[in-house]
This record gives sequence, structure tokens and C-alpha cells, in this order.
Amino acid sequence: MKIIRTFGLLAVLALLLAFPLLFGDPAVTTIAIFTLLFAGATVAWNIFSGYTGYISLGSAVFYGVGGYALALLCKAWNIQGGYMPFLLLPLVGLIASAFAIPLGWIALRSSRHVFVVITIAMFYIFQLLAFNLPGITNGSDGMFLPSPPWDAAFFNTPFYYVSLIVLLLCFFVSWWVRNSKYGLGLLAIRDDEERALSLGVKTGAYKLVAFAISAFFIGMVGALVNYFIGSLYPAFAFSPAFDITVALMAFLGGVGTLVGPLVGALLLAPLQQYLTVQLQIVGLDLILFGSLLLAVILLLPEGIVPSLRKTWTRWKASRGVRSPVAGSREKEEKALLAKGGREGNG
Amino acid sequence: MTLIIEAVVLGILTGSVYALMASGLTLVFGVLDIINIAQGILVIVGAYLSYTLEKYFHIDIILGLLVTIPALFLLGIGIEWAFMRRIKRDRVMISILVTFAVALVIEGLLNFIFTPNYVQLTAPYIDAALPVFGFYLPYIYLFGFLLSVVVLTLLYFLVYRTKFGFGLRASMQDRTAAALIGIDVERVQTVTFGIGVALAAAGGMVFGATNPFNAATSYDLISRLLVIIVLGGMGSLRGALFASLAMLVISDIIDVVWSPVWANVIFFALLIVLLLFRPQGFFGRLEGRKQ
Amino acid sequence: MVRSTATFRKFFSLSGIIVLLLAALAACSTQQNNANSNTTTQSSPILIGASIANSGDFSADGKPTREGYELWADTINKQGGLLGRQVKLDLVNDNSTPAGVTTAYQKLINVDHVDLTVGPFADLTAVAAARVAHRSGYALIEGSGTAVAVFQQGLDNIFSVSLSAKNYLVSFAEYILSLPAAQRPKTAAYSTQQDPFLGPQLDEARSLLENGGVKTVLNQQYPVETSDYTPYAQKVVASGADLVLLGTFTPDSVAYVKAFKQQHYNPKAIIAASGPDQGDQFTGPIGGTKVAEGIFVPNGGWYADINTFGNTQFQKDYIAKYGGSTADISSDTVQAYSVGQVLTQAVTKIHSIDNAKLIQELHSDSFDTLQGPVKFAADGQNTTAVAFLFQWQNGNLIPVYPQNNAQANPEYPKRTWP
Repeated sequence: MKIIRTFGLLAVLALLLAFPLLFGDPAVTTIAIFTLLFAGATVAWNIFSGYTGYISLGSAVFYGVGGYALALLCKAWNIQGGYMPFLLLPLVGLIASAFAIPLGWIALRSSRHVFVVITIAMFYIFQLLAFNLPGITNGSDGMFLPSPPWDAAFFNTPFYYVSLIVLLLCFFVSWWVRNSKYGLGLLAIRDDEERALSLGVKTGAYKLVAFAISAFFIGMVGALVNYFIGSLYPAFAFSPAFDITVALMAFLGGVGTLVGPLVGALLLAPLQQYLTVQLQIVGLDLILFGSLLLAVILLLPEGIVPSLRKTWTRWKASRGVRSPVAGSREKEEKALLAKGGREGNG
Repeated sequence: MTLIIEAVVLGILTGSVYALMASGLTLVFGVLDIINIAQGILVIVGAYLSYTLEKYFHIDIILGLLVTIPALFLLGIGIEWAFMRRIKRDRVMISILVTFAVALVIEGLLNFIFTPNYVQLTAPYIDAALPVFGFYLPYIYLFGFLLSVVVLTLLYFLVYRTKFGFGLRASMQDRTAAALIGIDVERVQTVTFGIGVALAAAGGMVFGATNPFNAATSYDLISRLLVIIVLGGMGSLRGALFASLAMLVISDIIDVVWSPVWANVIFFALLIVLLLFRPQGFFGRLEGRKQ
Repeated sequence: MVRSTATFRKFFSLSGIIVLLLAALAACSTQQNNANSNTTTQSSPILIGASIANSGDFSADGKPTREGYELWADTINKQGGLLGRQVKLDLVNDNSTPAGVTTAYQKLINVDHVDLTVGPFADLTAVAAARVAHRSGYALIEGSGTAVAVFQQGLDNIFSVSLSAKNYLVSFAEYILSLPAAQRPKTAAYSTQQDPFLGPQLDEARSLLENGGVKTVLNQQYPVETSDYTPYAQKVVASGADLVLLGTFTPDSVAYVKAFKQQHYNPKAIIAASGPDQGDQFTGPIGGTKVAEGIFVPNGGWYADINTFGNTQFQKDYIAKYGGSTADISSDTVQAYSVGQVLTQAVTKIHSIDNAKLIQELHSDSFDTLQGPVKFAADGQNTTAVAFLFQWQNGNLIPVYPQNNAQANPEYPKRTWP
């Protein structure tokens, strides 16, 4: 089982790595790049909102901060287009996290419903600041990122791989958090915060750290998208559409699960791009997109991944008493007991 | 000084219209545990409906309310029956998604039918203004205020003086207990949702008469409405009214005294500060442990 | 650990499906292209790609822009096409965002293999489009990306056929300063959206007027995402300025006019950067052309009766295709059509649709359009464009300045609201 699983994973990884070589058409890789970046943002969003249950509709703040941070760094250090800006990404992520700490500290003092609205308010504040501090952000005239000197056929490739690396890194962190004691604490906060607090989980610190981690990756995504497009304007850097889309993708795939947000993004992002560009009839893209969303949400309210998992388990169970799932479960439980831990909620 | 008086007066007048729209939103949350993100676009639907009646059938926009309000009431009932009812668990979060999806579909339909061009409701009396206190008060604002007062009073009577209102308040407090004492909670929920949307129709007419709009204006609207109901306390009608007036008056005063641009920033910042100290808003209830 | 097994299994199978789907999509498109590119004979159509703002913030301008391109294509085809080949437009939606534009032009160039590209609507998206086009060596002629920043990007393939944003209000400022001192307004209020197209216009006008002695009593800027313009209008009214300069698009220009009318505020002159030139989208909501009386609007060089290249034919064709009257023709349509005209002339002159040669030709030659003569500077600006000043008089929007193009003298001071 494990061999098949690992082999399958490697195969997928290989496919993802080889994608630009197989499908060199820049139009396709453009969609792939946006997809990977949205996936990264969604997985990052999930690290905080999914695991703790505090839905944030202000992730665009870090997206925008990331974009402007990269633009300002390139301007201040006179960096030319090319590979250099990619090396600045971790710094950009740290800057976004630095913003997240005070913002998170303020926002997390409230209950869940109020938290959502506070994040919306923070988003608007940042958008307004971006417009009204032209000394820093150049206001509505926008800022421009340096243009890499690569030719048309090659241009997308570095972006693709860097985006893939960011996504993989983010997913790895999400996986690591999920399976760690820290992650257990987060999930406990989601299920019942007061009880978790009474059991000794440092809820305040845990939430803040998750918020900062989430901001780190979203900031990088913001920087990458804007570097790819080349221009940065307040209305697009801080865009409510981004907030909502990220949350939607996570919900679609299964918020709070490990893989759900990834699946949601991989499905929705290309679809959204495709619909927007293809449909000429005004409004049709929204109608289709909204209807699709409705169908999925109503039919699979928990999201795709948990629903699929339920179906899978049910199917397995119906195949007989001694199902392979039960079999491997026994083996793994024995191994766990030997390790001395207790498996928490998957 | 005149400016400030003007700001306060206009703030109250426009605030009452927002109160209309926000009441629908907060009522629906209180009774159904649903945050209806589609409220913004439904206001626009109401505005477009008034616009169509006025442009193609030459029905005056005020009279047109007799058509738009019942129409949107029915639309609300339809939406609740088709979509809201299906949400069984995790209502608050899922409802955000569902209503957002519904809003997207409606926005697409509006763009398709009416095109994205901005329109505004016109009527001979819209631009006429009453000279008062040293500035001119457009009649339409006065009318909007009167409409809000009338409708909100009717709403008050409905919620606090009728049997249906009794059922509504009971469902708000505790759905299970209400069902146990024989209230048809499902029916209450459906009708409440319908009322919430019908209120959007009324607000939509006044909004459409005072602002140019198209389908995309709904985004700004719903953000304001969400902020209002959180500020007022989710589920509280009194809170929605108070918060709408407060928000608009404060906004308008800051517009005049300082700068319209920073007014919004200040406003959101104040909102955050208030919520930190009083997370339930002005009149909301503190969240207890949900068993 | 049990769940992780199932999880990863699901992960790999699902994402495997996704990748396969994407692959299928790519394969389909490549198939389509092979079909297209194999039949480029003399009689096959020339494919011209552009992205249109069918949805999003600029969707109100998307429609007239599309109408302009389509009308041009129809006209050209009726006359036998370009270089003897029919012209076919490939228009995709860009959602009014730079990301949408990037995807759109990538698709146009790499999937649809268009022969030529022309510009999207708007300053905010022009740079994104030009960059994509630049990488593949395509020229990008456009009619609405005229902000200062657009020309500072070092792109040699962008060509703006319209008047540069900075210069739109210059004629108005000149006119005001040409008035005899007794009549000249003493104070001015400036109110604009924070937009790269509008901001520079007002800034340039303000510096000219201030230097000419007109005192600035209000200078306000507000975010583009505003939907309630009332407080800004009120501030203008409260300033009591003699002269009002508004940096607006259509909906806000309507809001200002209504607010001024309601408040019985009658400045000596009002000019709005755009809006009053949008035909019935402006006159309708404000209450008719009577209300528009006296309002100025700058113009990048076109109006119904101007004697420019192809204008008579254009108007006839427009009414035949879309109905209405010449008052309904939006400047977006004119800009798009002018783009087409420049393209036609350039391509015909060099007898080829090769982009490199086209870029060279565009940089060196001059052209004629509905908006007047066009000559591109090295950075892509149109250096021969002149800002006209228009005013609504007796139900018509007519040019009033400069003198040689004027159909009537400017009406000053503005009459009180009807």
C-alpha cells in the first residue's frame, strides 16, 4: 500500500514538474501559473482559517502587502527584472508576516462572527491606505515591477517553477502543522475553544502564529502574481474578489482538511480563468460560475474532499467485514501505540 | 456650521434607508442563522425592478413599490425554499457561500439583462429640493426617510405585536424550544427571509433614486450592510437602525469636517476599536456556549 | 495515520485528474491551432485579437469599444478587406483586470495565433497587455491607454492613437485664461477620482490655472471604488468656487450634476473630464439635455461634424449598424475605430502584417483618423493630437474651442440650472 502511495505521489510530482516542458504553450502555462498561485494562497489561507475555524476575509491585505513590498524593494535596491526578485520572496513573506502580527493580535480578540467583519474592515483600510499614501504606493498611478528580459517562449517557465516551489512549500508546512501537536491545538481551538483553553492550549499564541504563517505564504503569492503581470494598482492589489475566491476554493474542496483547499483551487482556478476569457456574453461567466458553486455547495456541503472520503469509506465498509481499511488500521494503530501517542482527528 | 447640520440631517435621512436594508439582513440572521450576502444584489434587483417599471411601463417609482415589494417578497421565499432550506449544518459559514453563489448568479443575470451601464431612477420630483437651514434638501431623501419610518414601524408592529412576530422572536431565541411549543419554525423562517428581501426592495428604490447603480454596486452595498449589522449587533433590529444612523451621520460629518477619503478609513478603524471593547455590537447578545 | 493514507490516495488521484484535464485542454487548443495555421493562404482572413472589458469595472466602456472595433472590421471588409483578405476579429473578455488582460493576450497570441493585436480599454490594463505583446514581438495599437505611466515603461510596441491624458484639459485652461480679467473666474475647485487617466489631467490644468492667477479653493481626490459621491459633491458646493473641474467618469459626473442642481449651485463654468461626452448615458440620468446646458467636456479630437478622415462614412455606418443618432456615439467607439484606421493605413503602406515591420512603420510614419492626424513619438504617445473643448449648447454637444474648429462661441458664464 505504502509503496503504491509513494509511487503515485512521485508520479504526480513528476507530472507537475514536467508540465511546462510537455505543454509549452504560454497561454496554458499562464493559466497553470495562476492556478498554482491561487492554490498556494488557498492552502495558506486554510492553515489559519481552516484549522482554527476563524474565517478570514481579509487575506487580500497580505496579498497586497506582498505585492507592494516586492515593488518597493525592487525600486529601493534598484533590482532588474530576472531571477533576482525571486530571491527576495522569502523577505517579502517575512514582511507580510510582520504585518500579520499586530493585525492578528487586534482581530483575534473577538468572536468568530465578529472576526470576519473585522478582517473585512482591515481589508478596506489597507485598500484606502494604498490609494491615499502616494508617497509610498504611488497611489492610483500604480507601481510597476521590473520586466524580466526573457523571450516569449521561455518567459512563463521560471514563474511556473517558482510558483510550484511556493505551493509545495506551503503544502508541506500545512501537512507538517496538521500532523503536529501544534496542529492538534489549532483543531482543538476550532472544535471548542474554551475547552481547549481550559486544557492548557495557549489559544492566543497558537492563533497568532497560524495567522502569521498564513500571511507569509499569501504575501509571497501576492508578490509573484504582480511580478508576473508587471503592474500593481491599489484596486487590484487589494481586491475583494481575491478574498472571496480563496475562501470559496477552500470551502469547495473542504475547509479544514489538508488536501481540500488544494483540490478546490485546482478545480476552480482554471475554470474561472477559462470562463472569463471564453465567454463573450456579458454576465454568462458569473451565472455559470455561481450556479456551479451552488450545485457543489448544496450537494457536497462539506466540500469535495470530505464528501469523497465519506463515500470511499462507505464503499470500503460495504465490501465486507474484513476490509483492507480495517486491516491497515490495526497495523497502524499498533505502530502508534508503540510510539506512545494518540491519534487525533484526521 | 451649516455644513455640519447638513451632514447630520443628510446622515439621518440616508441612514434610514440603509436601516431598511440592514433590518432585512439582521432579521434573517437572527431567525435563520444565515448571513445573506445576496442582500446587496437584491437591493439592486429592487432598484432595477423600479427602473424597469418606470422606464417601460411608466409607473411612478413610488407607486411601483406596490409591485416591487411583493415581487421581491416572493423572490425571497423562493430563494429560501430552494437553497437555504437545504443547509443543515454549519449554517452560518455555509450560508455565506450559498448566498454568495446566489448573488453571483443574480449579478450575471442583471448584467445580461440590463448591461453594465450605469442607470439611475428618474422622476420629475427627484431633483427638486426643499430649501432649509441654509442648504437644499432634496425631496427624494425626505421621501426615503418617510418610507423607512413607515416600513420600519410596520415591521416593529409585525415583530412585536402580532402572533407571527411572536413566533419569529421565539425562533430567534431558541429554535428547538420554539418548535416544542408548537411554532411552525420552518414557515416562520421562510416568511422572514421573504420579509428580509422585501425590505431590500424598498431600500432599493430609494437607493436607486439617489445613486447611479449597476450590478457591481452591490459589493460596496453589502460591505456597508455587513458592517452595520455587526456594529448594531447581529439579530437586533434596534441595533440595525441605530448603527445605520450612527454610521451614516459619523461618515458624513467626517466627510465635511476632515476629508471624505479618510472618513472611510476612520470609520473602519472606529469599527474595529468598538468591536474590540464590545464584540457584540451595540445591541447584540454575547455568544454563549452552544451545546 | 490511516486517514493520511486515504488522503494522499485521494490527493494523487484527484490532482492527477486535474493535470490530465489541463493536458486535455491544452491538447484541444493545440489541435485547433494546427488547424488554423495550416490554412494561411492568401484568401484566409487576417485575425486581429483584442480583449474587451465585458465584465468588471470597465464593462460600461467595454461595449462601445467592441462596437468600434466591430464597425471598423465591417467597414474594411465591405471595401475588400485588408491586403485583399477579410478581417476577422477575435475578441475575448478580460474582466477589466491586469490579470485578465495577461491571460487574454496570452491566449490571443499563443493559442489563437492572431496576426495582429490591438489594445484593451483602459490605462490600468494597457501596460499588462503591452508587456505580453512585447514579448512576442507584437505591436499594440490602442485608443485608451493614455496615462503618463503607460509611456514610461520602456515599451517600444505600444502606440496610443488618442490624446495623452495629461493634455486633455489644456485647452480648457487656455480658454479660461484667455477671458478678460473682469470676467475671469477667481477661484477654482478640483475634485477627481484617483485614477491614472484623470489625475494627471487635473494636475496639469491646475498648474496652468494657478500660474494664471486662479486660486485653488478645493483640491480633493478620492478612491476609484467610491460609490457614493454625495459628500464630495457637497464639498465642492460648499467651496463656492467660480470654476469647477471634475475628474470623473460617467456615473460620478452624473452624481455631481444632480447634486449641484439640487443644491442650486451655479458656478461660472463646469468641466468634467469625461461623462458629458457619453451621450444618453449622461443626459438620461441627469434629466435631459436641457440640464447639460453649458457643461464643458474635453475631447481627444472627435465630434459628429468634424471634418476628419472617414468621419461621414463612419457615422452613416454606425447608425446603420447600431441605430440611434450621432449624439449616442461614445468616444470609446471612436477611439477603437481610429485604432482600426491606423492599423489599416500602416498595414496597407508596408503591404505586410509582419509585426516587426509594422512597429517600424508606426514609429516613422504619420496617419489620419477620425480623431485627427496621428504621429507617434518614441514612447508611443500621439504627438499631434490636440485637445478640443466641447460644450453642451441647446441640446447638442459641440466644439467651442480652439477657434478654428469651433461651431459656436463658448457659453460663459454658465446659465443657472433649468
